[in-house]
Amino acid sequence: MSGGEQTIRGWAVDPSVGREGAAELTIRDGVLERLEWLSDAEAEEITPAGTLILPGLVDLHAHFREPGNEDAETVATGLAAAAHGGFTTVALMPNTTPAIDEPSVVARIRAAAVASGSPVRTLIYGSVSAGRKGETLSAMGELADAGVVGFSDDGVSVRSGMLLRNALLYAGSLGLPIIDHPEDHALTDGAEANEGLIATVLGLKGWPSAAEAGSVARSIAILEDVVHDVPGARLHLTHISTAEGLHAVFTGQGKGLPVTCDVTPHHLALTDEWIAGARRWSWDVPRYEDSEAVDPWVSGAIVAPPFHTSLRVNPPLRSPDDAAACWVHLGMESAIAIATDHAPHTEVDKHVEFGWAINGISGIETALSVVLAGVAAGQLPLLKAIAALTTGPTSVLGDRAGIAPGLREGEPADLVVVDAGATWSVTAAALRSKGKNTPLLGCELPGVVRLVLAGGRVAYAEA
Amino acid sequence: MSTGSDRPEGATPAPVHWAHRHLLDVDALTRPEIELVMRTADEMHDVLARPIPKVPALRGLGVTILFYEASTRTRVSFEVAAKNLSADVVNIAAASSSVSKGESLVDTVRTVEALGADMIVMRHNVSGAPYLAAEIFGGSVLNGGDGWHAHPSQALLDLYTLRSRLPGGSLEGRKVVILGDVLHSRVARSNVWSLTAMGADLWLCGPATLLRGYDAWAARGAAGRPFTVTSDVGAALKDADVVMALRIQKERMASGMLPSLREYAARYGLTQERLRAAKPEAIVMHPGPMNEGVEIAPDVAVDPRSVITEQVANGVAVRMALLYLLAGTRRTEAGA
Repeated sequence: MSGGEQTIRGWAVDPSVGREGAAELTIRDGVLERLEWLSDAEAEEITPAGTLILPGLVDLHAHFREPGNEDAETVATGLAAAAHGGFTTVALMPNTTPAIDEPSVVARIRAAAVASGSPVRTLIYGSVSAGRKGETLSAMGELADAGVVGFSDDGVSVRSGMLLRNALLYAGSLGLPIIDHPEDHALTDGAEANEGLIATVLGLKGWPSAAEAGSVARSIAILEDVVHDVPGARLHLTHISTAEGLHAVFTGQGKGLPVTCDVTPHHLALTDEWIAGARRWSWDVPRYEDSEAVDPWVSGAIVAPPFHTSLRVNPPLRSPDDAAACWVHLGMESAIAIATDHAPHTEVDKHVEFGWAINGISGIETALSVVLAGVAAGQLPLLKAIAALTTGPTSVLGDRAGIAPGLREGEPADLVVVDAGATWSVTAAALRSKGKNTPLLGCELPGVVRLVLAGGRVAYAEA
Repeated sequence: MSTGSDRPEGATPAPVHWAHRHLLDVDALTRPEIELVMRTADEMHDVLARPIPKVPALRGLGVTILFYEASTRTRVSFEVAAKNLSADVVNIAAASSSVSKGESLVDTVRTVEALGADMIVMRHNVSGAPYLAAEIFGGSVLNGGDGWHAHPSQALLDLYTLRSRLPGGSLEGRKVVILGDVLHSRVARSNVWSLTAMGADLWLCGPATLLRGYDAWAARGAAGRPFTVTSDVGAALKDADVVMALRIQKERMASGMLPSLREYAARYGLTQERLRAAKPEAIVMHPGPMNEGVEIAPDVAVDPRSVITEQVANGVAVRMALLYLLAGTRRTEAGA
């Protein structure tokens, strides 16, 4: 279609101008030639429950496993999965083998992205520490010259407070953010599931929420200390999963500190009761009206065998109250982004005992559907949800990343057309990712992606 | 004690209501199903009283005992039970290892199945492991203890022992105290389900570090059935009908959960003095193995009120009952 002209009518959502409504777009030769917001009379039958036209989605947090673990994912399969999920920009975490701690690894990933032929933009984070060992700084300046968009030791927290302090100072002077995975590892040694009812009943070692909240508070205290010296220092805390952790970020923002955070689709939609065999969306757990129904053993919510390892993830799936807090903080924009933490794994690493299964959920292809399900259930207005998948993430990355999601006339089309009224079955065959490790396998999800254009080129078109 | 002693010699009880192919925990069992296990165990108890305690119920069936964790009484108890039912028993003491170190559980179970196992009795140190085995195994999986999660045959033999000892054979309203390392105990977890299902007034007691998380469970109850959690050993033992002490492991000191065994023994050890708070005829239990002088005083362990060796003996009858009932589902499926 890049050579022709196409007209699309639907419910357009453009967070860059804060507008949504019925619209008609014309795309010619890959350029968004015309965007016309339709009047009420013209817009009859066009609703947010039908065809949606969104700016290309941006994922702040994905793992494509190349180099080092190409059995689980490659850059090419990851980019295909991203496009299938509606993402036209992905930012890749550096916990590869070797880690992305020097420019040659960046070059290798870039080359793989180019070779894939995918028009999806690949952004790359460098590691905070050499080899992600948490001891000495990575080649931060050289990595910045090579074009990384930030630094992270994701998978683990930057354990040493001193190293985090130095990283914030050094990266801040380069104009790049530190993306930290908040976790007090002393509190999570051997932990298997969110501490509380579910972990207790199932005999799984509890993963306390204090491990997240404490680490968030520490990192913000360090940020507060350095930001006077280096005003460019920025801290982004990824995959916050607890009400306490979110509150700690909110408190830091209240002091005017440059700290942001994201939440994941799985922490928004799923809760720890799934490990017991329940299969309710977080928002369907009746928390207030009937307190007994929150207990899946009482409410009859258990419909599957317990201990499914697709549910083992770091941070762990939390309580319904924590999931509700994730939605609330998106609403307040104290959580500015929804990031997938797409973590594909092989069956060899996942089809084992629960406590030995590797952490992670393959989620980049189901993220938009899960968010739309939450929106349909009234958890968040559509415009805010799409902002958290587009302009929110780019605000974290800053201008250096050069990404500006929006439906702008005269620019190469970078957009997603999704049918919010249709559903699709999550099956291993339907997923482009090599990672089939999602607890949503077998689910019927709303929101079928029909067309994805990235930088004016077709990234995905429904067959 | 038997309800079936008037049956013709050699007859075996009919499992009319048993529908579970696997026994992974007791949480899925209804009270009538638990009663069926008890009645079947009565029959097996009669079998064990014969000069030659052997029946052909499982003849031709292969039972593989796959233990990833050291065990004496559970493993031997299952082995004796399976042999009494004329099963072909294979014992595998597997080295407990993660996938990076050895053969995966999935591959081991497929191998065991290819070698002709119809039933697997499994012990594993990771919670939930038998559910993975059940997912891939074509026969029946009987959980012989998984991590901190469940030990259903132990809970059922505890119940069987209590019913034989308590007046009227009923736990309804009886105060049962489980004392010790509740956090790391699969015995405690399975007993929470079975004892509350039978109407007991269940109390879990231990130092706060070894009760972590149980407040959340007690707030909801076991499928809504209430029980009590406390660190106050005096309140727990007061007027108790049954006291079950749990093993305290040395690792709990290394992980910073207890100051010392000495301090534990002084504050929570089941001594004659502490036991005086319970009812005079209170029953003393322990799932074994015991640290005498730590969680239970030596004179309490051998007190006339102690049923600890009876628990071991009853274990064989209850495990025979479980193997028999699970084999019954197999026959039903084959005949259908």
